[in-house]
Amino acid sequence: MKPLVTPHLLSHGTVECQDMAKTRRFYEEFLGIDVIRPLPEAQYMWRGGAWTVVCVHVDGEPKEQGPENRFELALASASDVKAAHAAALAQKSAFDMKKVTDLSERNGIVSFMIQDLDNAWWEISNVTLKHYDDLFEKGDIAA
Amino acid sequence: MSETLEKTQPGKTSVLKPVSLIRGTMVSTDLALTRRLCEEVIGLECVQHEPDAFLVRESGHQKGGKHEGKPYWVLEVRQVDEVANPQEMLNHWGVELSSQADVDRAYETIAEHADEYELGRVQKPRFRNNSYAFYFVDKDTNWWEMEYREPDLVYEALRLKGDQA
Repeated sequence: MKPLVTPHLLSHGTVECQDMAKTRRFYEEFLGIDVIRPLPEAQYMWRGGAWTVVCVHVDGEPKEQGPENRFELALASASDVKAAHAAALAQKSAFDMKKVTDLSERNGIVSFMIQDLDNAWWEISNVTLKHYDDLFEKGDIAA
Repeated sequence: MSETLEKTQPGKTSVLKPVSLIRGTMVSTDLALTRRLCEEVIGLECVQHEPDAFLVRESGHQKGGKHEGKPYWVLEVRQVDEVANPQEMLNHWGVELSSQADVDRAYETIAEHADEYELGRVQKPRFRNNSYAFYFVDKDTNWWEMEYREPDLVYEALRLKGDQA
């Protein structure tokens, strides 16, 4: 069946922020993702590919989000994730992070989550693109 | 809005040194319906990897596909009984189409099939923030943007231009 729409890129997701400079500092100095500000009311961030997360300025407190709506950053190794977790706990107040969850491990993937100053959630893990390649290659699990 | 700060070098001087922004997540109260929306309407590739979740990526990354071997990010859609944090238009997922005419065609056809896929509002296309686009919302308050950008305004081109505001 031909889809109704044929996009060439799943191009972006979005988050809200209240203080563009303060949020950018968290993205660049802590998370380590690339950021530009092409518009007064938005900054774009990316790491590792063509897709982008658009951070849109809002007046007042950004909408509360739950961890079910999050973005995930992949680090190079499980030990990097553990070091990142220790750093997040140590620098939580310096970057106004609201929550840092405990580390967890599932099938060799170590992860934790951060709720940032704008209520957005970030998962930090050592998942790889090969992990997703394999899942797509394998196809649907049996019903 | 507060203003500029000294530019750091993400990935070099930052605390974390991520390889990739690799995944986004969202929820659905009806996985089968959301998957039909992703596959049949938006033209994305899906795979159910867990009993209560499926993954989404743009089409073409499969073996022999036009994007084979190129990096991508995934969306993970997870089943929930109810949406705890309803989303709004500023929280959306965007897909890029090839022309302004494609956006107009997508609007017409999605509006026509809105009831079949239990969509909420389907807004008319308009120019906004460097793009020609429209938004629609699914039954679980997940918002989607269908957009076209001129080549010098696509996200990767804007990265090369750096800060402009």
